[in-house]
Amino acid sequence: MQDADEQHDLSDDSDYAAAKHQGSGMGVLSESVEAGGFDENDAFEVVYSKENVAIHPSQHIGERISGQLRVRKQRSSLFLRWVPYIHIHHEADYARNLSKSSTLAKDIQLYVINDLPFRCIRCIHRYIPPLAWQYIIIVLSSGLAYPPLYFYNGGIREFLATLKQHLLVVRSADNVNVFLVNDLQDPLQRSLSSLDLPRAVPNSRASSVKSPTAAFAFDEPQTSGRAKTNGTSGASEFAEQQAVKSHDPAFEISLQVLEKFSLITKFACETTSSIFHERQNQNCPSFEKISGENSSSKVLKSDKMLEPSHPLQFDNSLIHIGEPRQHPLDSRELATFFDSEGRVNDSLALRKRIFYGGIEPNARKEVWKFLLGYYLYDSTYAEREYLDSVKKSEYDCLKSQWQSISTAQVRRFTKFRERKGLIEKDVVRTDRSFSFYEGDENPHVKLLHDILLTYSFYNFDLGYCQGMSDLLSPIFFVIEDECESFWCFVALMERLGPNFNRDQSGMHSQLFALSKLVELLDRPLHDYFGQADCLNYYYCFRWILIQFKREFEFKNVMRLWEVLWTHYLSEHFHLYICVTILKKHRRTIITERMDFDTLVKFINDLSGKIDVDEIVREAEGLCLYAGEKGAACIPPGTPPSLPSDIASDFYPDNGDL
Amino acid sequence: MASRRRMLLKVIILGDSGVGKTSLMNQYVNKKFSNQYKATIGADFLTKEIQVEDRLFTLQMLILPFLQIWDTAGQERFQSLGVAFYRGADCCVLVYDVNVVKSFDNLNNWREEFLIQASPSDPENFPFVVLGNKIDVDGGNSRVVSEKKAKAWCASKGNIPYFETSAKEGINVEAAFECIAKNALKNEPEEEIYLPDTVDMAGSSRLQSSSSGCEC
Repeated sequence: MQDADEQHDLSDDSDYAAAKHQGSGMGVLSESVEAGGFDENDAFEVVYSKENVAIHPSQHIGERISGQLRVRKQRSSLFLRWVPYIHIHHEADYARNLSKSSTLAKDIQLYVINDLPFRCIRCIHRYIPPLAWQYIIIVLSSGLAYPPLYFYNGGIREFLATLKQHLLVVRSADNVNVFLVNDLQDPLQRSLSSLDLPRAVPNSRASSVKSPTAAFAFDEPQTSGRAKTNGTSGASEFAEQQAVKSHDPAFEISLQVLEKFSLITKFACETTSSIFHERQNQNCPSFEKISGENSSSKVLKSDKMLEPSHPLQFDNSLIHIGEPRQHPLDSRELATFFDSEGRVNDSLALRKRIFYGGIEPNARKEVWKFLLGYYLYDSTYAEREYLDSVKKSEYDCLKSQWQSISTAQVRRFTKFRERKGLIEKDVVRTDRSFSFYEGDENPHVKLLHDILLTYSFYNFDLGYCQGMSDLLSPIFFVIEDECESFWCFVALMERLGPNFNRDQSGMHSQLFALSKLVELLDRPLHDYFGQADCLNYYYCFRWILIQFKREFEFKNVMRLWEVLWTHYLSEHFHLYICVTILKKHRRTIITERMDFDTLVKFINDLSGKIDVDEIVREAEGLCLYAGEKGAACIPPGTPPSLPSDIASDFYPDNGDL
Repeated sequence: MASRRRMLLKVIILGDSGVGKTSLMNQYVNKKFSNQYKATIGADFLTKEIQVEDRLFTLQMLILPFLQIWDTAGQERFQSLGVAFYRGADCCVLVYDVNVVKSFDNLNNWREEFLIQASPSDPENFPFVVLGNKIDVDGGNSRVVSEKKAKAWCASKGNIPYFETSAKEGINVEAAFECIAKNALKNEPEEEIYLPDTVDMAGSSRLQSSSSGCEC
């Protein structure tokens, strides 16, 4: 896929050549080959500086470390530097509350990138996920990688564009988001470039140029009128070699290693920085030796380093078990929540009780009307009786609207015919194996149809959409009464209606929030989804659209729904359920390196295999753990949050009651 | 990834709600039919290992009712979710119900929708297969789309192979999917896969006379 914004792209344009020419002006001749490290005492130039570039050492939001990213130039060599603002953004208190593994100030020093010469960098992997912060991963020649650097304020293009003014940066032919770095102006790099390193490959557009050397022709202006010898010839030689090797398996392997590394933020960070610190301190003494080795053996070596401590073992702390499920609320206990006139004075206590224990089947009928919002908690018995009678006649009126459409009318009413047809098609395949809807000519199936068709007249704009019959079916089973089921369904659709919006806004906002939550609560999984191009979360579509209706057997769907409808810990508890399920299978997902299609099938096949009590309990733990940071991931107005004006809309004559 | 890609054949199954997409897929994979299939929400996905010339392939079959509802304006919900699912499709199967004229009329919409969403590199030659399902219903007395009409449409769209099927009775399902697999293979780029001129698949002799068959 091509990027929309190409003007900063790293193409071999004339600006590039000019900038390169200019940049190479000083120091080409004065360089001494053995020089390597950055010398604070020597003159340098800051060619790039960016604030709010952060490292996420762990999945804990409190451990995000922001800092300043700089590129400095000294004696024509470029150096990368990232220094944290130690005291500002490290929310130590928060982190301490959350986890024992909070990053100590001294550990933060591990993450410092201390004037890393660009010649030590093999490539820069760029990630611009649609739903998250953009970041880069710096991969060293050794195949090791630094942890992702998140550009909170954006600007990765600008960063790369700046680099290309000073370095040879080319897009990988295999991955448009991989930029291979060659600091050909760095004297050490120049000498290394004559070695047969599997590094740069021309990008796809460069390779459309006839001759492979032509792709690198922007080096030519440097030589004009200047006595340059091994530098350019080395470069073009190198280019020729690399054009031939553009599908070098070693390169692919090292990318895989990179991907592995980026899965394990904390671990990779510690490993790479400690190793690299050593190397840094020795001014990259081992560099020549390593680069002289066969590159695939390097990769194997770094791969091995991962083995003793598998990255996925780091998530032990991520299992959050909530409180054990209590016994369900029964009618007797329910009675204690009502005052003498029938008001539920402490609705929070009731919702909490249901959240932790659910409801006995025979008490559901009464409680669901409150949970769904058909009854108001502070209404009296008398008011509810009155509401029932008003709503009964209102329902009859709505129903008669479509019932009165004559056959002659139907023939001339395509929209009605199609809508009715869809509903008819769906009700006969909704929960037919469940006894309540079983068998031919089942009257309940007919009533599902009537309620849905009436709803499509009540809310003509939304109409009927597949999935609605799934949402209605358990409600009708519990409520039994046609009219009350209708109004309960109406109340539910006030919240879930946006799931069926034509512009998909309701689903997209939930998928977006889900993505943010996974990023917060399971960073490695989020990173994996990023690499696997799975950040759209469409594989969770069914979960969200119909509230896990297809994932559990009927009785467990009811158990789950009443927990969700309490909105006790969160209005968006269903998203925490999503995260919990994903987390439970993260190891399989990541180690099997599932691609999008595989993931769709895998998630679909989880249906019927999820333990509802266990998942609710863990999601509760996760939700508590995430706290306000979790809530902050969910933009206001994300379904099933009620739009602010709904209560008055649903009870227009509330004052009269 | 390249080596894995070779082993997978991805087939997208499209068609109006209730024409029997899930049933066809289940009949082919599990040799079973049920009256109790639920309406597909999201995407349904089944795979089957198939063998062609001693080589094993995984046929991935994906039903995408994201594009569920065509209203009179030709708009439908969940439309743009499709793109991610269409990626890498090797063949597209269009299903209609021979007893519902509208489902046949919509074939054109489904085909165009596929071409827009999947944007295959060579849309003119991208392999489609059309299935007219539910030929068993009422002994064929309720059918409203004739075989001739369906074949004419298929011919007009670049000779799309056409099969008349009954997922319920298992009629022609195997033959149809063999053709689908063959066509999916044909879509694989030359350098990725060696394909002999003729592919003799087990059971192809069962191809019934009521279909125009697979002309690959």
